[in-house]
Amino acid sequence: MSAPILELTDVTKRYGDFTAVNKINISIPQGSVYGFLGPNGAGKTTTIRMILDILRPDEGQIQVLGASSAMKVRDRIGYLPEEKGLYKKMKVWAIIAYFATLKGMNRRQAKDKAYALLEKYGLHDFANASVESLSKGMGQKVQVLSSIAHDPELVILDEPFSGLDPVNQEVLEQLIRDLSANGQTVIFSTHVMQHAERLCERLLLITQGSKVFDGTVDEARAIIPRRIVLETRDNISPIRSLDGVLSVQEHPVDDDTRLPGTRQWELYVKEQTDPQLILQHCFESGVSLSRFDFTQASLHDVFVHLVGQEAREHNFR
Amino acid sequence: MRVTLLIAWREYMENVKTKGFWIGVLLVPIVFFLIFHVSSRLATATPTRYYLLIDQSGEYAQAVETAIRREHQRRIMQDFMRYLQENRLDADAASFRAEPSSQLNQLLDNFDNDEVAALDQWLVSGGLDYALTMAQPYLRDDAPEFTEPRPQFVAATLPPEVDPEADAQDIVEQLRPYLNGERRINVDGDSASLFALVLIPEDVDQDIVRPATIQGLMTPDAGPRGVQYWAGNLTDTRLSGAIQNSINSAIRQQEYASQGIDIAAVRDVQRTRLPLSRLDPGKEAGEEAVSLADTFRQWAPMGFVYLIFISLMQSVQYLLSNTIEEKSNRIIEVLLASVTPGELMMGKLLGIGITGITTILAWIVSFFVFIRLYQTVETAMIVQVLDVLLSSDLIPYFVFYYLCCYALYAGIFLAIGSLCNTLKEAQSLMMPLMAVLVVPILTMSFIAQDPNGTLARVMSWIPLFTPFTMMNRAAAQPPMVDVIGTTIVLVLTTAAVLWLSGRVFRQGILRSGQPPRVIELWRMVRRSAS
Repeated sequence: MSAPILELTDVTKRYGDFTAVNKINISIPQGSVYGFLGPNGAGKTTTIRMILDILRPDEGQIQVLGASSAMKVRDRIGYLPEEKGLYKKMKVWAIIAYFATLKGMNRRQAKDKAYALLEKYGLHDFANASVESLSKGMGQKVQVLSSIAHDPELVILDEPFSGLDPVNQEVLEQLIRDLSANGQTVIFSTHVMQHAERLCERLLLITQGSKVFDGTVDEARAIIPRRIVLETRDNISPIRSLDGVLSVQEHPVDDDTRLPGTRQWELYVKEQTDPQLILQHCFESGVSLSRFDFTQASLHDVFVHLVGQEAREHNFR
Repeated sequence: MRVTLLIAWREYMENVKTKGFWIGVLLVPIVFFLIFHVSSRLATATPTRYYLLIDQSGEYAQAVETAIRREHQRRIMQDFMRYLQENRLDADAASFRAEPSSQLNQLLDNFDNDEVAALDQWLVSGGLDYALTMAQPYLRDDAPEFTEPRPQFVAATLPPEVDPEADAQDIVEQLRPYLNGERRINVDGDSASLFALVLIPEDVDQDIVRPATIQGLMTPDAGPRGVQYWAGNLTDTRLSGAIQNSINSAIRQQEYASQGIDIAAVRDVQRTRLPLSRLDPGKEAGEEAVSLADTFRQWAPMGFVYLIFISLMQSVQYLLSNTIEEKSNRIIEVLLASVTPGELMMGKLLGIGITGITTILAWIVSFFVFIRLYQTVETAMIVQVLDVLLSSDLIPYFVFYYLCCYALYAGIFLAIGSLCNTLKEAQSLMMPLMAVLVVPILTMSFIAQDPNGTLARVMSWIPLFTPFTMMNRAAAQPPMVDVIGTTIVLVLTTAAVLWLSGRVFRQGILRSGQPPRVIELWRMVRRSAS
């Protein structure tokens, strides 16, 4: 694997007594799509601002594109902040070109690139409109384009999907895939797990400023044991004692259509356990089933499992 | 440096596109136009006032009518002199004095030196007809026809139902509807509104106030005394003034006569005068006389102070509103990922500074265009004055103090802008600074009158006032210690303010929520030092 494009070592940021980011360590390889997940107030935006050298960490080091500060390599980074905004009076193409020229492109190239991007992502008709005439979603698309117009090696998008309708969310997903296919590294933060699930190769999950998970999507799913739900009127002790079953919990049956005496059980099974085997055992032991569900943990479940309680407490504090 | 220029350029281009910029740029030409064009039109457009004069004493009507005629002739003469100066073959104001003396020059000289004598001569020679005939050979071919000003005051005919011999009270009652505008009076077949009624009662001479009878004034009296001037419009005092003056001068002539004094001698004595030469000890021998240009040069710095002030006010608007736009629209974060706060601040300072300079240049250009287009007596004088100005050392002073003043205040206002999310918040923070800025404007004329006095010297050493005060003193050769000392203090302060503002800007620009208190501000400055 090539040298990491971004590396954070024990990065910490405090505001008075409050620790916004606590000893975060990450290493992001070149060309990957990397997700920053975490509940509101977890420290995602603060971390991103530190990566960009808009804020300085109180402790720890940040290496971006081989430099000690993003400012030194700012022309090679693209950034979409969480709170979006554009100069209202400027024309759409001009604002994309302006940000590209700030990143070192010459005017001619920047203008051509602005038009090319607007064409590619369906905004060509608005190129000469002023920004204030755009809808919020369109404005956001324009801002995404202005953050990538200079072909940065590293693109950091803070909550890029918020405020977009499903169609435009797909357009943006495609844009991220295009960047990745082009060899550009993309870091984005989101609340919406489906986007992360579809796009990310690796994830960082932080809550209350601390890292709780860093790894691939599959690794994340593996955190939650696999689950089998079954309903039966029979005794399930033969299954309970099976090798792959970690624990069993009983849940009340809330469905009146079930035969009287039906009980619902939730089995947590080991990662490598084949659910087919459990089903086979049920037949062999004469346990007659009225329901058998096997679910793969979603990223959503992982998120709630890892940060759910804390996030709830945090938000209502 | 490249990004600083890019930011400055964008800032400039966006400012230039705003309505406010164009209003600012066009304001001065519009004001010039209004002053020189519309105001002269307005003066000639003043309506003719119709009045009724009822002189029951039979002593003063003649004097009043003569005075009003004379005043009209004076206005004709005045307009004619102006017309003559603008339409002479050689309209160059500087050289016509050198021409060999002619009747025309005699007339102009008289007019400049002693208007009363000139008017006498004017009337004796035959007034406008004579003047027109005499001036004809000296007028340019394309000179427009001279238009006589309309008479300001015209006597109306008494309505037939009013008996001029009746009791004063009855006359007033009968004419009240006319004075109130309910009825209109007949003037040469046309109806017109009656402006004023001048009623001179039969026994008016009893009310003459002499030094010996001054106590008479003290006794409370029920009825009106002396000449009665009835008019709904009391703000236009020209007619009442003219009447009062003419009657008083008639009375005085009577008094002179009764005391056996020669009226002609008195008239001559009254016009006797001794000129006062204003001299400047700082000038070369033989050139000490203070000319109009010299006087102007003394007062010109005040104009520059105004110019600095107005331009600063305009720039402040841009500094605040543009910074707050970036903050409230959250553009700032994208910018800060591309540029350092220092580059951003310098770019803004530069861009908005150039906007201000553009406005001033536009004013100057429109001023010159205006002078070219409107060649009148006044603009000819302005040209002379400009020559004085351009040859003086005021311009370098202005450039220096303008730039320092801008950098000093712009730094402060940018820092304020960076701390606020809305213009409303910014305005409350601006208040103290605005109060400070009013001081140089309030003290401006005092300083111009006493440019090296205590007030001027003390204010010069306060950096926030230095640019204004020193500019104001520039024409009065302030002591070297003041010039150099205050310049050093000003430059150091400006540098310090920009440095501190940079720190506040860096911290403030990402802040959200309420503007900070002073103690927080101090922490911000210290924090960004670490």
